[in-house]
Amino acid sequence: MPSDPTKLQKTKDIGIPSIAMCVARVPNSGRLIFGSSDFKLHEIDVFAEKPQPMPFGGEGHQSYVTGVVLTAPNIAVSGSYDGQLIWWDVENREPTRKVKAHELWIRRLVISPDGKTIASVADDMQCKLWNADTGEMLRQFSDHKPITPHDFPSMLHAVTFSADGKFLATGDKVGHVAIWETTSGSKVGMVEAPGLYTWDSKQRRHSIGGIRALAFSPDSKLIAVGGIGQIGNIDHLDAPARIEIFDWQKGERKHELNNDKFKALVEDLAFDPSGQWLLSSGGAGDGFVTFTNVETGKPIHQDKLPMHVHQLALNESHDMLFAVGHHKIVVSEFKVSEPASTTAEPEKGGGK
Amino acid sequence: MTVSRRGFLNAAALGTAGTFAADMTRFDVLRQSSWADEVKQQGKRVILLWLAGGASQLETFDPKPGRPTGGPYRAIPTSATGVHISELLPKMAARIQQTTAIVRSLNTKNADHGGGATIMETGRIKDPGIEYPDLGAICAKELGRLDSAVPDYVSMYTSTEGRRKGTSGFLGSRYAPMFLSESMQPENIRRLESISDIDHQDRLVLRDLLAKKFTQNRYSDSLGSQTQAYQRVRGLMASEKLFDIEQEPAETRAKYGPTQFGQQCLIARRLVEAGVPFVKVARAWWDSHGENFETHRELCADLDHSMSVLLDDLKDRGLLENTLVLTFGEFGRTPSINASLGRDHFAAAWSATLSGCGIRGGACFGKTDEDGQKVADGEVGAGDLFATILTALGIDPNKEYHVGARPVPLSDFGAKPIKDVLV
Amino acid sequence: MRFLLRIHLSALCLLTTIVSAGGADLPSADLPIEQVVDQFIHQRLEAEKISPVPQADDANLLRRLMLDVAGRIPTSEEAKGFVANGSATKRVELVDRLMASPDFVWHQRNEFDRMLLPNKPNDGDFRKYLLWAVKENRSWEAMFRDMLVGDESDENRKHALTFTKSRASELDDMLNDTAIIFFGVNVTCAKCHDHPLTPDWKQHHYFGMAAFFSRTYVTKKNLLGERPFGEVKFKSKRKDDTKGEQTAKFEFLTGAVIDEPAVERTDEDKKKIEEVIKAAMQKDDAPPPEKPAFSPREKLVEVALRTEDNRFFARNIVNRVWDRFFGRGLIHPVDQLHAANAPSHPELLDWLTRDLVSHNYDLKRLIRGIVLSQTYSRSSEWSAGSQPPDAALFAVVKVKPLTPRQYSLSLLIAAHNPTQWPALDQAEQWVQRREQLENAANGWAGHFEMPGESFQVAVDEALLFSNSKRIEDEFLRDSGDRLVGHLKTLSDNQQVIDAAVQAICSRLPRDDERATLDEFLKSRTDRMIALRQLVWVLLTGPEMRFSY
Repeated sequence: MPSDPTKLQKTKDIGIPSIAMCVARVPNSGRLIFGSSDFKLHEIDVFAEKPQPMPFGGEGHQSYVTGVVLTAPNIAVSGSYDGQLIWWDVENREPTRKVKAHELWIRRLVISPDGKTIASVADDMQCKLWNADTGEMLRQFSDHKPITPHDFPSMLHAVTFSADGKFLATGDKVGHVAIWETTSGSKVGMVEAPGLYTWDSKQRRHSIGGIRALAFSPDSKLIAVGGIGQIGNIDHLDAPARIEIFDWQKGERKHELNNDKFKALVEDLAFDPSGQWLLSSGGAGDGFVTFTNVETGKPIHQDKLPMHVHQLALNESHDMLFAVGHHKIVVSEFKVSEPASTTAEPEKGGGK
Repeated sequence: MTVSRRGFLNAAALGTAGTFAADMTRFDVLRQSSWADEVKQQGKRVILLWLAGGASQLETFDPKPGRPTGGPYRAIPTSATGVHISELLPKMAARIQQTTAIVRSLNTKNADHGGGATIMETGRIKDPGIEYPDLGAICAKELGRLDSAVPDYVSMYTSTEGRRKGTSGFLGSRYAPMFLSESMQPENIRRLESISDIDHQDRLVLRDLLAKKFTQNRYSDSLGSQTQAYQRVRGLMASEKLFDIEQEPAETRAKYGPTQFGQQCLIARRLVEAGVPFVKVARAWWDSHGENFETHRELCADLDHSMSVLLDDLKDRGLLENTLVLTFGEFGRTPSINASLGRDHFAAAWSATLSGCGIRGGACFGKTDEDGQKVADGEVGAGDLFATILTALGIDPNKEYHVGARPVPLSDFGAKPIKDVLV
Repeated sequence: MRFLLRIHLSALCLLTTIVSAGGADLPSADLPIEQVVDQFIHQRLEAEKISPVPQADDANLLRRLMLDVAGRIPTSEEAKGFVANGSATKRVELVDRLMASPDFVWHQRNEFDRMLLPNKPNDGDFRKYLLWAVKENRSWEAMFRDMLVGDESDENRKHALTFTKSRASELDDMLNDTAIIFFGVNVTCAKCHDHPLTPDWKQHHYFGMAAFFSRTYVTKKNLLGERPFGEVKFKSKRKDDTKGEQTAKFEFLTGAVIDEPAVERTDEDKKKIEEVIKAAMQKDDAPPPEKPAFSPREKLVEVALRTEDNRFFARNIVNRVWDRFFGRGLIHPVDQLHAANAPSHPELLDWLTRDLVSHNYDLKRLIRGIVLSQTYSRSSEWSAGSQPPDAALFAVVKVKPLTPRQYSLSLLIAAHNPTQWPALDQAEQWVQRREQLENAANGWAGHFEMPGESFQVAVDEALLFSNSKRIEDEFLRDSGDRLVGHLKTLSDNQQVIDAAVQAICSRLPRDDERATLDEFLKSRTDRMIALRQLVWVLLTGPEMRFSY
């Protein structure tokens, strides 16, 4: 059944004690595995009557957990600022394998559509591919300079696979995107989005932002790049949420979208399976979600979310989103039919 | 032009303007320093690395790893046993024992940029009745020489946000900073091409001759200050090269690195080496209401490298034992993390460091509670920090200035030096 | 700070007795101000057996008067004209002409501006108000009311409220600045604690003043509002304090207390009112705040001006005006009005205060009296070979640094071609020129320090004059409209020297200066460079930088 973004409606609003930095969803369920600022993974069933986060145990991470993927319904892999990848038995919520993966902070993990390969990016500016079963490193590559043009440490926040798993894209703080062939590790394309690099040379001499989110269109032809636009005052996330969409094979920029309705940082992006709309989410003091018509570049629908969103998960039919972020988890539906009244009652979040 | 100069000066010396002949020697006074007895606290210097906008103590010198307020970064051990600082400062971690004391228990009460800056610049709260001098002006007065040929208070603040020049308050403009805001070179320090060096010198001589006659029977400190200001012009112009880092070997420049802050630290080293008693280098802008961790990753790298190289360089040149290097800004940042992963203004429990002259390296004074919300032990205010700084420099913090009839001690009433961090 | 406190506390009780005792034995109220000034200053000099210095010469007096009353140096023509004038009444005529001129209006505006809004220079609207008030010769009492109570609906007066608005975000700024500027009292120290030694001076004096301002706020649309309720609470920090938290009364510095009529309000009412105020402070389109039935600021003005309590207000302004012209108050420093800091000439201060109050706080009248006194027109040179006597005796005139505006205006005038000023009888033209000069001075004033208690010339200033292209372009240019341009048309060195010294120093050169400058000119091979440097030397001299 096709979705209808204009019907977006919040159905759950759950308070959590920590800041959720990343999320993975157990297929066909409301069970979310999220990584958080308390250095832990948690599982929560958002469809439960009283959803409660349940922390994973054992010797876990030593810092913020910033990436999590499910390689099988019962196996989660998480990455953290501590540079480690940890494999977990979801049922027992215990670690089963640890790999020292990066020299510096891991910013994001993604998993290939076939579930066999994990990609991690970190501030050592490396992208590394891992065998999801064995934990073996398959390949590493980088096209990202460790130092910005203004001589400060750069950062590598974003990585994504194409829908067919053929391509992988990585994007850094200064707005450089490299596109790779997954099997060979050879670079097949580049995109520059310097508008996402917010260096302020006069007033404050620093920058925040960079590329925070990447997504391929379902046909892999387009790549969407998200972050924050030109900031007048980089003390705050006080600038339009910014997205650029490129036809990367032609080297053309299709859209440059500065969303004035929400001053925010774009933290996550997702295309719908038909490629008609692009979903973006993120936040500043609170959060937002925007559906953009990919053809016209115009917003189809947009709304506030009650917290700064760090990552999204979508359901199988792409008409329900699970957003995790600042002390909250929110579920929203955008189905064509009216949402069932039983799930429409928002929970009172207590974690603010 | 050489001929014409001799013409005028000879005439002045020989008699037409003979009554002024004796005054010609005044210009040699600058070089011969007959005011040697004015020299105080010989050779002591200060470099203040001003972390404008407010750096986070949790991402620098008072980490709280694993606490809800702690943020993502680890704490790392330093060369001082038992003292840990943020992993964002690895180079400084290796130098704590040798050079640096940390004060972790500042409660300065005002978390407003302007008010906080006033407190941390002057060591006391604003008083509408008195314009207090800032630390730079106090040091210029206490450590400088009246007839100094180099500037005695240089302040660099090249970013525009929160820019503050500094103030000499009731000490008067003689101790006001030479302020570098637009470029790395002071303004008006270079002779215009339209005037020859000889003419530039001669007109100052002539100015002084005429001024002497006017000031002879008029009694005013203000009048004297004008004469002094013009007499310092040539000396200050000669110090132009101090601001030119191209004068340094490529190797040294490479050590300090390419960032502006690093280069300004190199200028600061050149200045103190030449005898400038107080140099402030403002690194703006740390006001990380959004993306605090990203901001600190960027700015701490700059601070860690520049401060470490500066301390090493001072040490290698034998200057560190007489040079006090300070780091602080107007306040710290909230332990709680806001929705933009930022930290906000916070003055209730934050940190400063003191390195070098008079300081016990490796000392770590005061404690905050486990989440860094409050001072748990050894609470000190800006006045105490100032008393500590002055004591480290061999200046009596209880010494009084007189503003009209009002006695004003150098550091605030009741302030006490932190003995634990002093040698 | 402890020292300050000691001063404050004795202030209140003693002032009360001294001022109320005054009056009876004072000289007649009908005497000219200048005569009374000289009489009291002379009496004390005689008692101390000090001979004052002689009167300044005509050129010196004119320059001083112009700077003090008109805010600028005279043009060459004005200076020559005054010296050549043989009339016995030329000084009175000059003062009256100057005080009726636009020069006085501009300068008086500038002086008010730096006293009232020292941290917010060049606020256009406030300066517009001041200009209007000076033109109207508005009384100081009315100006005080304009600034604290005001009337947003009156086009001419509404911007006076900038005084309060610009401080409204900080209660301390409002009450301290008001107390210092209008009452000559600095109560800052009492905020934190009672004085440890003297029981008279309590925290409640500070918090009493705070109460008058604590309800004041500014809306988003920059309108001044006042809450209809709200109390100031304070607590002693003394360890032996037993009173606990106290509510501050509306208490003026004299001890006078204003009672607020009781109004019954439910918490609900209060909440509603607070919401309206909050909206007004946050939203552009919110309605303007309603004026409350009881306005503490209005009450403060009322009590400060009423006869039995006006001693702080009245003495303060007399003292401040005196300080402006003599470089030192009769009570010094000017924010320390209290009996432990006795006036140098108490009867004179009392007489002048009585005169001002009885003439509707007419500051122009006071200024005229001061500048016509012999005390004012003494020389600034003390050549007796010894240190000059105590400045509080006014035996010799004090050298005063020019304000940034005086200096800027004077530099512009001095460096201008002296033959190109409008003739003295072309008043209309001069109005325009003065306005142009004011605008040009705006661009320069920021380069110079505002003189404070122990003013020093900054080395930045010396570097600016020595090496700035702007100085060279503006003041040393040889175009026809500049002094250098005029000098280059003169072939004779003596003519050059006379014209330059006259234009810049407002006098003719002395013989020794003539000789030195002549030597200098002769020693240069390039005439144009020589002329430029000659002008530079005079422009940067102390005679130009100071009023003497």
